[in-house]
Amino acid sequence: MCGIVGFLDKRERVDFPLGRTLLEMMRPMACRGPDSAGVALFGDGGEEKLRLRLPVEISRTALSDALHEEGLMLMQSHPGGVYDARLVAEMEATDLEERLRRRWPDCEILCLGGRLDSFKQVGSPDELETAYSIAARTGSHGIGHTRMSTESRVDLSHSQPFWAHGLPDVATVHNGHITNYHKLRRRFEQDGYRFCTENDSEIIGVYLRDRLAAGRSLEGAMRSSLDDFDGSFCYLVATKDRLGFVKDRYGFKPLMLAETEDFVALSTEEIALRRALGRDFSAHEPPPGAMKLWSIHADNEENTQ
Amino acid sequence: MSFTIDCRDKTTREINRTMREAIAAGHQRIEVLEPDARHNLGVALLCPVDVVFSGSVGYYCGGMMDGAHLEVRGSAGWGAAESMLDGMLMIDGNAGSGAAASIRGGTVVIRGDAAARAGVSMKGGTLLIGGGCGYMTGFMMQKGRIVVCGDAGDALADSMYEGVVFVGGQIAGLGNDTVVEEPNADDRAWLDELLSTHRVQGPTSFRKVVSGRKLWNFDRKELEVWKAAL
Repeated sequence: MCGIVGFLDKRERVDFPLGRTLLEMMRPMACRGPDSAGVALFGDGGEEKLRLRLPVEISRTALSDALHEEGLMLMQSHPGGVYDARLVAEMEATDLEERLRRRWPDCEILCLGGRLDSFKQVGSPDELETAYSIAARTGSHGIGHTRMSTESRVDLSHSQPFWAHGLPDVATVHNGHITNYHKLRRRFEQDGYRFCTENDSEIIGVYLRDRLAAGRSLEGAMRSSLDDFDGSFCYLVATKDRLGFVKDRYGFKPLMLAETEDFVALSTEEIALRRALGRDFSAHEPPPGAMKLWSIHADNEENTQ
Repeated sequence: MSFTIDCRDKTTREINRTMREAIAAGHQRIEVLEPDARHNLGVALLCPVDVVFSGSVGYYCGGMMDGAHLEVRGSAGWGAAESMLDGMLMIDGNAGSGAAASIRGGTVVIRGDAAARAGVSMKGGTLLIGGGCGYMTGFMMQKGRIVVCGDAGDALADSMYEGVVFVGGQIAGLGNDTVVEEPNADDRAWLDELLSTHRVQGPTSFRKVVSGRKLWNFDRKELEVWKAAL
């Protein structure tokens, strides 16, 4: 099961009520994924920031000092050992992640980027709203997830969206099982990649990062994932200015797509589209093996199929 | 005078219960407003009644029904009319995977496209698709007729026992043990009548796909045929 949703406003309005739209899409998907809920929103470009999960007891002063040493400024604390910080010094995301891990081996960067803001936790979309006031947040595009865990534990770390570790402003959500996950993970770990969870969905971001590092385009990486991933999957990718989907060659997992002059909306079930966006558009199920990528810039038509 | 059910603020169970109560009270026509692509609407309706859904429906709409006449003014999710015994389901838009799977009788009309595995294991009845269909449509069908006005996906009618599939457009790939024939005069007359009855604009000609019947009995001499199929 699991429910995934995605939305992109084609009118290049960064003040679009994205949070409310994604939340309304996720609510009817809550029954597909009662374990946890999360969103990745892409808002107005700003300074690079990150959200960090730190499963150690530490005073705010000590944390602030420690982060300062790593070139970060502590901004805000959330329940469950989650902290927001701003990047003060310029550095590569991979280097920063490595440095933080050297300091706190169990630390995990939940998201990082100039536009990406991701919130996730155990519980329903309504509980996510209570904790983080998602509905009030604006942005041009984003993705959301409701999780029913099957293989790995239910906690914040194993919730989605997953940040594509090392790639600023890239997040994924996934419905299905990547059945060659262990094989792929072993290969990636031999190549030096680090995994934060035992959730098979985490492999998608790692895979895309690896392909991009090898010089492939995002579209090319998504296309080759159709061959390199086994199992059932529909996944969405969001970057600072793009939103895309990939659907496995057997069409095992459902995904509905609606595209109008104003927006692109994707969801596991049509009910999410109707509840959030009304009836004045048609929706269809892309064929098995389909993939597509949209840009938020109308004049920069990179849309591919 | 039709009976109206507004789905807003009702659970799926309440909607279906209200539908049954209206039928029991003698209503012949029911309008279901704002269905919002919910699942399991109009399942197991076992009497002749007209039901119109004003928008898209979710999974298994009209499943296991016998004799009802359902119209969907939108699209349908997975498994539309699955295991229907008799009756009719008309879908204005597209249908998700597994439409008309395992039906034993009646008619399913999809004016748009059908996704993968439409009409799998059909044991009777008719499935008319105005657009194209996804892969493995008609997989292991045993009886009945599938008409695809547009293009058909890969592995069409794979391992079919019996029945017939008519295709107007391109066939991406035929399934195992299928044979393509030219429709005869009776077939053409039946197709013309079906298309005009349901006001579906068909192509100028169809191809007819039937079972090659090589998989009916195991034959060691034809081991390669079996290896390919399995």
